[in-house]
Amino acid sequence: MAQPLLLRRFLASISWKPPQGGLAPLCSRPLQTPWHSPSGLAVIPSQVRSVFTTKVSTTTFNIQDGPNFQDRVVDSERPVVVDFHTQWCGPCRILSPRLEKMVAKQQGKVVMAKVDIDDHTDLAMEYEVSAVPTVLAMKNGDVVDKFVGIKDEDQLEAFLRKLTDRRACL
Amino acid sequence: MAALAAVLQSRSLGFPWLLRTWAGGARGAARGAAAGLHDYDLLVIGGGSGGLACAKEAAQLGRKVAVVDYVDPSPRGTRWGLGGTCVNVGCIPKKLMHQAALLGGMIQDARNYGWEVAQPILHDWRKMAEAVQNHVKSLNWGHRVQLQDRKVKYFNIKASFVDQHTVRGVTKGGKETLLSAEHIVIATGGRPKYPAHIEGALEYGITSDDIFWLKESPGKTLVVGASYVALECAGFLTGIGLDTTVMMRSIPLRGFDQQMSGLVTEHMVAHGTRFLKGCTASRVERLPSGQLQVTWKDLASGKEDMGTFDTVLWAIGRIPETRSLNLEKAGVNTNPDNQKILVNTQEATSVPHIYAIGDVAEGRPELTPTAIMAGKLLAQRLYGQSADLMDYDNVPTTVFTPLEYGCVGLSEEEAVARHGDDHVEVYHAYYKPLEFTVAERDASQCYIKMVCLREPPQLVLGLHFLGPNAGEVTQGFALGIKCGASYTQVMQTVGIHPTCAEEVAKLRISKRSGLDPTVTGC
Repeated sequence: MAQPLLLRRFLASISWKPPQGGLAPLCSRPLQTPWHSPSGLAVIPSQVRSVFTTKVSTTTFNIQDGPNFQDRVVDSERPVVVDFHTQWCGPCRILSPRLEKMVAKQQGKVVMAKVDIDDHTDLAMEYEVSAVPTVLAMKNGDVVDKFVGIKDEDQLEAFLRKLTDRRACL
Repeated sequence: MAALAAVLQSRSLGFPWLLRTWAGGARGAARGAAAGLHDYDLLVIGGGSGGLACAKEAAQLGRKVAVVDYVDPSPRGTRWGLGGTCVNVGCIPKKLMHQAALLGGMIQDARNYGWEVAQPILHDWRKMAEAVQNHVKSLNWGHRVQLQDRKVKYFNIKASFVDQHTVRGVTKGGKETLLSAEHIVIATGGRPKYPAHIEGALEYGITSDDIFWLKESPGKTLVVGASYVALECAGFLTGIGLDTTVMMRSIPLRGFDQQMSGLVTEHMVAHGTRFLKGCTASRVERLPSGQLQVTWKDLASGKEDMGTFDTVLWAIGRIPETRSLNLEKAGVNTNPDNQKILVNTQEATSVPHIYAIGDVAEGRPELTPTAIMAGKLLAQRLYGQSADLMDYDNVPTTVFTPLEYGCVGLSEEEAVARHGDDHVEVYHAYYKPLEFTVAERDASQCYIKMVCLREPPQLVLGLHFLGPNAGEVTQGFALGIKCGASYTQVMQTVGIHPTCAEEVAKLRISKRSGLDPTVTGC
């Protein structure tokens, strides 16, 4: 599957990938939140799909493998929130959509990577995840913040604000 | 880093100094007191009940330990994560599905107790299976985290011996690694046996490796076998409302007390499980409808018969996982009849620094708690200055059939064989659980017997309990037997009322007396 790197990143950032467990409906977003690729171009979806209640954020993606994680999280220019979750975890199913929504509200300042710990156990072990959900805040490849368990929207907002407001010292 | 280490290990047979430097992967080799000669102090092959317990105990004692675990997919393609048979395709999912079946019965009972329950009561296999599978997956994860916490290195690789201290591991993708250790523990367990000479058996049948992972209901099922695996599976399948048949060649629950085994199957017959006794299957074919047609022979009459089923489950025994270990390369001997690894009381094999525990070892009970305890004791003997050996006597167990059978100690047959009929006294009782009364349940097979020596104080040799919550009831009495309880002491023990367990303490009628053993009221 040889695609030019830029095109791949471009497409990946639109997050066509359905969430765990099958085909999810893509909703057509209201036009007040234009979709942006990392290069800054506005993207208008070429297809119109029916509106569903679940929203899929453009700023969220599922991690495919180790190199994918390296590329999209460790080497990411933007801060990344990493959501370690799995299907057998009830609280994860509550936290993930909530976190996705709050990340989307940050309007591209931060993106979210979802890691299923059953599919990527080695990665989870590497980041010392023991209980799920575990959420890491990563900047320039380093873990700068972390929480375990469910948080409400206000708490998530504060968590994300801390991540985006922090000035990187490099 | 770990990948680099693996490459170096696999290529550097001629450079042992490199092996030592990179040993143990990226995290660094500071932990533990690894003898300079080997990568690890202890290598455990098999991440099941025994293997994990041994590894964690050794690590706690400060050793450098690695566990290698690998699951070959079943012929049907089923695979699972870390934890071994118990966690993935044994005790855990079995007990959960058994519970699902029991709940069905309780919902029915509830009506008698005043609950308004709508008819009919339906069971959704998918919902149950998903819940059970999710729990198992959480246990797989839990084990991974535990190994991480205890600083045990884990590799998901298929191991085989290269020499007495070296093991080759192959990943799913075909990558090879070499691992060496001062001590090695083999805890690879077993897998279900497929019948050798039945046409279509492998192609169309499943085993206990598959039943718990089915996404869709097995439907009308034929369970072939008379083991506790067969009866437990047939039991819960019947309990959740599926048309279930058990085909047995001869006696049920070989090795268990036969009077009790007879009552277990009697209860299953009375509660909807069909039994084909004294029959063996000869052929399995697939019909155009997709269903399976099984042909069998009645051994007594010689007559052939046929039946149609959605699923055929083979539960005819288990074979140890030793074939692919290349044991000859290490000089580890096995029993030629059954391929199990020969061990002594120290769990040592024919090679002094190689041990075997759990289902893979000859003469050991195929039970999780004994494997765990043996593993821990072994680690203590190797690294903890202990000399304690595993005591395999008076190990309690329970068969989780619809009416549960808990036992500890000798069966009546064994006691008589050992001590002679004249020196054995058996006390017994048929009882009725209080909860069965209002629920109008049949308690005909609720029965207890205690096998004792006849000579005072009448040492208790064995206890057999058939009834609800048999596991919970038997556990406490196992302690009594471990402490050498006598029938005199049993008589002095006050019962808890109203329970089924109190009937054990109230046993007074002996078989020898010929009196009616039915318990009557308070």
